[in-house]
Amino acid sequence: MTDFLEMRDLTMRFGGLVAVDTLSFKVAHGSIHGLIGPNGAGKTTTFNMISGFYTPTAGQVLLRGEDISGLKMHEVARRGVVRTFQHSTLFAELTVLENALVGTHMPFRPNIFAAIVGWDREDRRGAEARAREALDFFGLGDLVEERAGDLSHGHQRALGMAVAYASHPDVMLLDEPFTGMNPEETRQMMDLMRRLKADGITILLVEHDMQAIMGLCDTITCMSFGKFLAEGGPAEIRHHPAVIEAYLGGARHVA
Amino acid sequence: MLKPLIFVLAAVALIALPHGLSFSQQEILVFLVINILLVTSYRLLTLTGEWSLGHVVIMGVGAYASALVSKELGVNVPVSILLGGITSALLAVLLSFPLFRMKGFYFLIGSFAAGEIIRLIWKRFREPFGGVRGISGIDPMPDFSLGFYSFDFFEPVSYYYFAGFVVMICLWVLWRIEKSPVGLTFHAVHWQDKLAQASGVNLRAYRTLAFAIASGFAGIAGALQGHYVGTVNPNSFDIEVMVFVLTWAIVGGTATFYGPILGCVLLTILNEIVLRELGFEQARPLIYGAIMILSILFLPNGLESIVQKVLPRKAAPSPERKAAA
Amino acid sequence: MMELLAQTGLNAVYAASYISLVAVGLVLIFGVMGVVNFAHGELFMAGAYAIVALYADMHLPFFIAVPIGMLFVGLLGLVMEWGLFRPLKDNPLGGLVASIGFLMILQSLAVMGFGVRMEHIPPVTQEVVRFTDKVGLPVARLYVIVAAVVLLGALWYFLKRTRFGWALRASAQDPEAAALQGISITQTARIAMFIGAALAGVAGALTAPLVSVNPHMGHSVIVTAFIVIIVGGVGSLEGAIVASVVYAFVHTFVTTFWDGVLADIVGLMLMLVVLIVKPTGLFGSADRA
Repeated sequence: MTDFLEMRDLTMRFGGLVAVDTLSFKVAHGSIHGLIGPNGAGKTTTFNMISGFYTPTAGQVLLRGEDISGLKMHEVARRGVVRTFQHSTLFAELTVLENALVGTHMPFRPNIFAAIVGWDREDRRGAEARAREALDFFGLGDLVEERAGDLSHGHQRALGMAVAYASHPDVMLLDEPFTGMNPEETRQMMDLMRRLKADGITILLVEHDMQAIMGLCDTITCMSFGKFLAEGGPAEIRHHPAVIEAYLGGARHVA
Repeated sequence: MLKPLIFVLAAVALIALPHGLSFSQQEILVFLVINILLVTSYRLLTLTGEWSLGHVVIMGVGAYASALVSKELGVNVPVSILLGGITSALLAVLLSFPLFRMKGFYFLIGSFAAGEIIRLIWKRFREPFGGVRGISGIDPMPDFSLGFYSFDFFEPVSYYYFAGFVVMICLWVLWRIEKSPVGLTFHAVHWQDKLAQASGVNLRAYRTLAFAIASGFAGIAGALQGHYVGTVNPNSFDIEVMVFVLTWAIVGGTATFYGPILGCVLLTILNEIVLRELGFEQARPLIYGAIMILSILFLPNGLESIVQKVLPRKAAPSPERKAAA
Repeated sequence: MMELLAQTGLNAVYAASYISLVAVGLVLIFGVMGVVNFAHGELFMAGAYAIVALYADMHLPFFIAVPIGMLFVGLLGLVMEWGLFRPLKDNPLGGLVASIGFLMILQSLAVMGFGVRMEHIPPVTQEVVRFTDKVGLPVARLYVIVAAVVLLGALWYFLKRTRFGWALRASAQDPEAAALQGISITQTARIAMFIGAALAGVAGALTAPLVSVNPHMGHSVIVTAFIVIIVGGVGSLEGAIVASVVYAFVHTFVTTFWDGVLADIVGLMLMLVVLIVKPTGLFGSADRA
């Protein structure tokens, strides 16, 4: 099962600018895979291509051998690849529980006729149970009636993950999940991710927090200026000369 | 125990209501009931965050369709009303292809253009739409008797009961939809379309669904009106009527199910009864316009926000704030 | 046939003139204040009724009545800015609804002041500039064309060459940055609203003797203006002018060779096609809405 999720020659051009250039890497099933690189390396663009937010200019994203590049975001999601967003992208006006209920859209697909007549009680109960389960998992069980917009920053990040988790994903794409978290929250979140992995969920994350990345990931792919730079385990990447050069030298160029 | 009692009392009040009114007030009551359905269906569309200016024309599509199938094809009237609604819903699906390439302000203007084109088509084609003068002599609802009450549909009271019954069913369906996971998904599409999509929601499908349902019920409202008035013409569905619908929704507030209904009822009473009684015939649009301006200035969340203050309960989000324009 | 084409072309130039006056004002207001002024057609109507009152009823000379009417409508614009758009500047939908309310007030005032019937206005001049036997341009129409060219030229100069114009363009592009530059948003909004309204007013005043003046004449004007600003690209003044010309020619020719209703349909179709293919319009690039 090594070729679970494979990026093959992914390329994204915006006008004349090449944001991602023939990037290839593989994510093994059941692993936590980190995607790192200096600012402007094209990590988020890569993310957006995998999740269907952008259509790659060239190249493919293969999920279990099926080309999913160019599919719409909801079609990618329906194949089990669910993403979170940078910042706190939530349904701020809805309650925490309602947020998680939207996350159960895929396992409990709403049916309008059943809803009118009232034949969807089972589904509604199941969806609510799943939503509460996801919220409990991320430690939000006591906040179900709060407005999502009123939550603290750390709770909002957790809710973003809970919404994704509620859909029973195979792959979770996490866009900078530790941003704005204090060390304690970061440590808790790392624990939760390890538990997700134990559940058989594959995780691909983009992150700046090197400590978290090194402590968490099985494999790390490093990119720089849109190109593949290096790949390996945390120890390998930490001492990889090209990576060190990219981070030290890149900072001077990019900033 | 209290709840069923309130329902029974409300039902009795609604049944008794027309008997205390004058004939012209009874006629207004019929239109009010129809307009309640119109504005409630409009709110369903606003749940997904889109504000249309074509809703009244879509209502007219239902009226024309029902008038034509009953007149030309001899379909029974209550059935034709349903067909009118279905026609409107199908047309909405068709219109969604061009219109849902637009959002916000562009959707507003696009829906206006689409509506005007439909109206001009009615004007231009004598066959079968009757041109500028429209269709007259539309079959009325056939009279019937329930034993204890004989329905004579030239009487506003009878038609009020009939339309009220139909509208109640429609409102119940709209209410069920809103309180269902489908309704939650509409909210989700409105507030964070990207996150909704990442949760597997097909945005296009849900936008179209909301548009089609809203249009279908508007079509039923139009058909109900057509069979009562007996004529339809392009001018009965022009932008001025749309402005009224918009005003009811905004003055009432669209965060709750009852907000637009509240706006519709109060403004109709004010406009048709109070101002008429006071003899402000020519100045009615002026006063109406002033009320619109004052309420948007001083009650930006609508009349429902007053109700919510009096009866504190968990408030649903208000789609207006982030909406179009 | 050539003569008919030439005559229709002249009619189109006249139509393009007053349409562009109305549309440019609407674009200016939208650009600076971010609000869709639904009452713009009624400002046109107010300009026309100013002529009814001043020229037809009070017998002032036409060319004194027109500037007074223009000023009057400009002041109406200031009233709208002060009473509606400034308090509602964080609520674009609210601004739109309030402008609809204002529209109803103006219409109602016209009905109460002048009645619902069409107004007859004595012609300003019967003279016609003749090119051939069958091709001619009534001088009254020529006034409209000249006024459009002069006023739009002046506006162009004002926007591109003066400090006020610079401030106006800056706040249309980025209100926050403009505010940081020390530009008063209220001030620019006032100027934009005054100019925008005055342009609609002068268009209404000049065309009043040539059209049927009635309280509901604003409707077709605002529909036309919407088509034009969408086709030209919302927020683009140049686009509005070009689109006015395109629309005027298409509409006038279809009206002449087929019929008016069909011309309206074609115009709206044009707008829908632009909305579908390039929602930012033929000249628009910035996506403000």
